[in-house]
Amino acid sequence: MKSFALTFRRFFRDDGQYLLLLSPLLIFAVVVAIYPLFFSFRISLFDYRLTDPNQTQTFVGLKNYIRAFSDTVVLDSLKTTLIYVFGTVTLELVFGLGLALLLSAEVRIIRMLRSFLIMPMAIPPLVVGLVWKALYNADFGVIPFYMKALGLSVGHGPLAELKLAMLAVILIDLWQWTPLLMVIFLAGLKSLPTEPYEAAVVDGASRWQSFWFITLPLLKPTMLVALLLRTMQSFKVFDTIYATTAGGPGSATTVLNFHIYTVGMTFFDMGYAAALANILLVVIAVLSIIYIMVLERQQF
Amino acid sequence: MRSKTLRMLLSLVLLAAFAAGIVGCLPVPTDVPPKAEEAKPAEVKPTEAKPAEEKPVEEKPAKPYEGVELTLAAMTDQYIAGFRHLIPIFEEESGITITMDELGYVDLYQKLTADFVGKTAQYDLMTVDIVWSGEYATNGYTLPLDDFMARDKEELMLDDIMPVAWTLGEYKGKHYAYPLAGYANVLNYRKDLLEAAGIEPPKTQEELLAAAKALTKDGQYGIALLGAKGSAVAQDYMAWVQQHGGSILDKDGKVAVNTPENVEILKFFGELFKYAPPGSTDYWWDQRETAFRDGMVAMMEGWSIARAGYENPEISKIVGKVDIVPAPVSEGMEPMYGFGGWGIGINASSDPEKQEAAWVFIKWLTSPEIQKEWVRHDGAPIRRSTLTDPDLNKEYPWFPKMLEAFEKGDGDYRPRIPEYSIIQDALGTYVNAYLVGQETAESALQKAQAQIEANIK
Repeated sequence: MKSFALTFRRFFRDDGQYLLLLSPLLIFAVVVAIYPLFFSFRISLFDYRLTDPNQTQTFVGLKNYIRAFSDTVVLDSLKTTLIYVFGTVTLELVFGLGLALLLSAEVRIIRMLRSFLIMPMAIPPLVVGLVWKALYNADFGVIPFYMKALGLSVGHGPLAELKLAMLAVILIDLWQWTPLLMVIFLAGLKSLPTEPYEAAVVDGASRWQSFWFITLPLLKPTMLVALLLRTMQSFKVFDTIYATTAGGPGSATTVLNFHIYTVGMTFFDMGYAAALANILLVVIAVLSIIYIMVLERQQF
Repeated sequence: MRSKTLRMLLSLVLLAAFAAGIVGCLPVPTDVPPKAEEAKPAEVKPTEAKPAEEKPVEEKPAKPYEGVELTLAAMTDQYIAGFRHLIPIFEEESGITITMDELGYVDLYQKLTADFVGKTAQYDLMTVDIVWSGEYATNGYTLPLDDFMARDKEELMLDDIMPVAWTLGEYKGKHYAYPLAGYANVLNYRKDLLEAAGIEPPKTQEELLAAAKALTKDGQYGIALLGAKGSAVAQDYMAWVQQHGGSILDKDGKVAVNTPENVEILKFFGELFKYAPPGSTDYWWDQRETAFRDGMVAMMEGWSIARAGYENPEISKIVGKVDIVPAPVSEGMEPMYGFGGWGIGINASSDPEKQEAAWVFIKWLTSPEIQKEWVRHDGAPIRRSTLTDPDLNKEYPWFPKMLEAFEKGDGDYRPRIPEYSIIQDALGTYVNAYLVGQETAESALQKAQAQIEANIK
């Protein structure tokens, strides 16, 4: 106890300057991250409707969380979110790695190609959504036009058919974010040591074998970064859904984040929306921890 | 020595940039409007500057609110062109400046709600959708205008305003928004196509269905409908509920969407989609308009305000081929026509002086004289004198039909109650789910009802 008090005092006497110098950053973090987090946790324990003229906040304990787990809309949207995340992340991982391997050579044309491929990332997701909505439109869109020309049935259009809508939104995400994974994997590939490959060639390994037994294992840390980044982003998807399907047709593409938006910004039910947002946060955090544990353990 | 001065200089520059960054962040609300203002005069000047010279005679002497600055949040509906044209004229006459923010439907609702809840009074004037009036009244967001109206009774000519237009802002006997733009639900149809098929313009819903069926052939579709998830499909379904004599609320004013009657209407609505373009279940208002203007469909129900646009060759391929009738109702039903549109309200949290100035603007804009200009610049009428004006009737030959639809207008088919947005969201999800085959008509309305009940407290 005594030693603790001592370190505490010394910390403030000796390193007080550090704190002072750190204070702008600390204040910034508190204001933009920590305070909102605590506020959203606090508000999730209350019944608070933003449009209430008296702004009454009634304490209801965990009722909002209990309500969330018995709300079929929430459970359905959670399932939709998982499908979306699984679809986008696996496809992007595969295509990103493929593109990275394909375009890793340092040739002028390939360097140019790479910079062109990165362009979708520079467009705001909302704009991407609007552009694709126009492309997908069953009656005026380009994609259904060629589908019809090929003799395929378009139905209500890719975004309005129950079975196609999810695939259609996943494709948009794939188009926009595969380049990011390509860049990450390219960086990973460039930093790989060359010795193992030389040794493999000497031992008579085929190219496939050296990819499977050397490249992939060595890329694991890169893969972890890519997986984490995309999973988190994918869980939070909102803009593209908002601009293309608004969660439709029916509720086929209502991901959890879009449902939270409806509860918060249409019903103005802030307590419940905060509770749902916190559940999303916990889901992402838990998944991230699992990823890290699994991939760290397997390393070497 | 040299590197030190360089470092000094660099840090100075950085400091200046930092300061500029901070300062630049502060005046967010004043940052945006000037853009809209810049755009205005450019569009107004070439059209017409004359009315400004004609009118000053009446109002010029007194400019009691000279120098007052107002902000207006306006929906980007067709009538926005009317605002763009008339605001500079008003500014000249009154000395009041009005900065207009043009916002889309969803953005407008959310920005206004944030403004009202925070009592920040960023907007002094706002366009209020007919369905928001109950919510605004209950929460005290907009100023009740009854005191102003009683004071200025003589100049307002209240009797001249169509009775149904008061639903644009009236709630429980008080007026929370003043009528601005009245829309009647009408059936637009292609004269040429109906004539070629030997079909009379439908007068009943049953005839409408039969006509839609007969007109769907050779890549041509019978009718364009709103099917997209959200407010679009919800509002179109509610229009059909009205046209079949159904109701969203029961006799006691409680929400009752899952009645057997409404289920039947939903099935009829679904039947109509068979004769609509395949993409219809994803149509918002703009896509429905495009489908009709493109000549893809033969009929379309919609707000009367869009009518003038069909005669504009720049945006329409069907110039001279369109006529309207009031929207058909179910057979044997006393004709009642869906009525909608916009009111204009004053923020309850604005300064009293600004509220007075805002009222001056409302009075001016809704005066019979200015209403003519308003209508000529894509605005929509609210006065009987406008709808019966001989000059305007020559320019807009469909006005008598609109007058008829206004006379028998029903402004309450979309319940103007505070819970409206909850009802609209539930119907928007589940009616769309029925149309794409995710739910049956019964289960769709059942689930909508359940969702509404769970969210209304």
